[in-house]
Amino acid sequence: MEFMDPLKLAFAMLMALDPELMSIISLSLVVSFTAVGAALVIGLPIGALLSSYRFPGRWAIITVSNTFLGMPPVVVGLFIYVLISRAGPFGWLGILYTSYAMMLAQFVLVLPISIALSRQVFETLNNEYTPLFLSLRTSKLNRVLVLISESRIALITIALACFGRAISEVGAVMIVGGNIRHSTRVMTTAIGLETSRGELAKALALGVVLLAIALSVNIASQMIRSKFERNIIND
Amino acid sequence: MIDISNILIVQTRDLTVVRNGKTLLDRVNLDIERGSLTMLLGHNGAGKSVLLRTLHGLMTKTDGQINGPPAKRQKIVFQKPILLRRSARKHFHFVCPGCPDKDTEAWFAHAGLQAQMDTHAHQLSGGEQQKLALIGALASQPSLLFLDEPTSHLDYESTTAIEQMIHDAHANGTTIIMTSHNRAQAERLAQQVLFIHEGQLLESRAAADFFHKPTDPIADNFLNHL
Repeated sequence: MEFMDPLKLAFAMLMALDPELMSIISLSLVVSFTAVGAALVIGLPIGALLSSYRFPGRWAIITVSNTFLGMPPVVVGLFIYVLISRAGPFGWLGILYTSYAMMLAQFVLVLPISIALSRQVFETLNNEYTPLFLSLRTSKLNRVLVLISESRIALITIALACFGRAISEVGAVMIVGGNIRHSTRVMTTAIGLETSRGELAKALALGVVLLAIALSVNIASQMIRSKFERNIIND
Repeated sequence: MIDISNILIVQTRDLTVVRNGKTLLDRVNLDIERGSLTMLLGHNGAGKSVLLRTLHGLMTKTDGQINGPPAKRQKIVFQKPILLRRSARKHFHFVCPGCPDKDTEAWFAHAGLQAQMDTHAHQLSGGEQQKLALIGALASQPSLLFLDEPTSHLDYESTTAIEQMIHDAHANGTTIIMTSHNRAQAERLAQQVLFIHEGQLLESRAAADFFHKPTDPIADNFLNHL
């Protein structure tokens, strides 16, 4: 295998719009974007609440979310597998070996990131704004909304961190998705499969495509970030 | 309940604040007249800011009584203005949500900030930021305004402009309680002086009398070094 072979192959596969590759790429993006979107929608308000209010169970939530930050993906995958397998408590959902199970696994993996990082961002801002909020008697809901709105640039970085974790995940989605061709095969599981088959050039080509996707998402988010910064300056 | 008369706007009885075993305010009794401009004086750490914040409800009292106008009729301006990360106009609308656009423009004109309405609040100069905080507080026409060293970091020009705005607000009937470390400023603005030392209110007198000759030796010594 020549050094440039994977690059050439990756380029050829992309240019040929290989249907299987396109379906793998689109499924990877749909699964990861959905998981990250859900994790942000749920995680950011939780992060804002944790940073702004003291309530019973607060430290338990912080401890659990921090613990899950370092949770190995295969353990998360196994845990979800047990829950949604036919004999498990949520077996009736019938989502094992579907993209929904993969979304759930990635969601569980990135939710703690979204909570922990947003809590840090909101806490700094909340400490600064608390006297103003108290003086204006700002409602709890308004405080959370203001914190999210004021942190929007930092939140893009959090979204990126979540996306990076989700799109690169392999262990959990392999366990709950099964890496089924045309159904639950995503970039990372496809790379694993091609490597095990000894198709290193193809595996590396898929890796290059994965890197290109990550790069594209980073560039897009950087553009959004710059737009926000320009808006803030011209606001 | 204390029977607060029409003459008084704020009254405290035995107001005490203790934090981590330290007494920050020690049985403070004060009467603030409606429409007055009262200057809180004292050394750093004497309890001036604690008193302002407790009167405004930002800190909880440990003991004693406070009688004053409802929270929505009070405003505070901090030594370092707290401004949202958005345009000056949007920040103003956040702190004064009901203000019509016409009034908003009038307030910005009053502060000489018409040209900065759409500038990011954090890109304003220190003096402009303090003016923005001040008009944000004044726009809802509070009956009681707390000012915590509003000009401590400002140059002469900004200080003069802020003092004029304070003077105008007072002339319009707003009761003002402020802190300052600037004797000249205190003499220019104050009608009444409260001198606090180690959480205790040692003097409460008309400003002219206080600056002529404080009765308490600690206050006298403080004034000599102010």
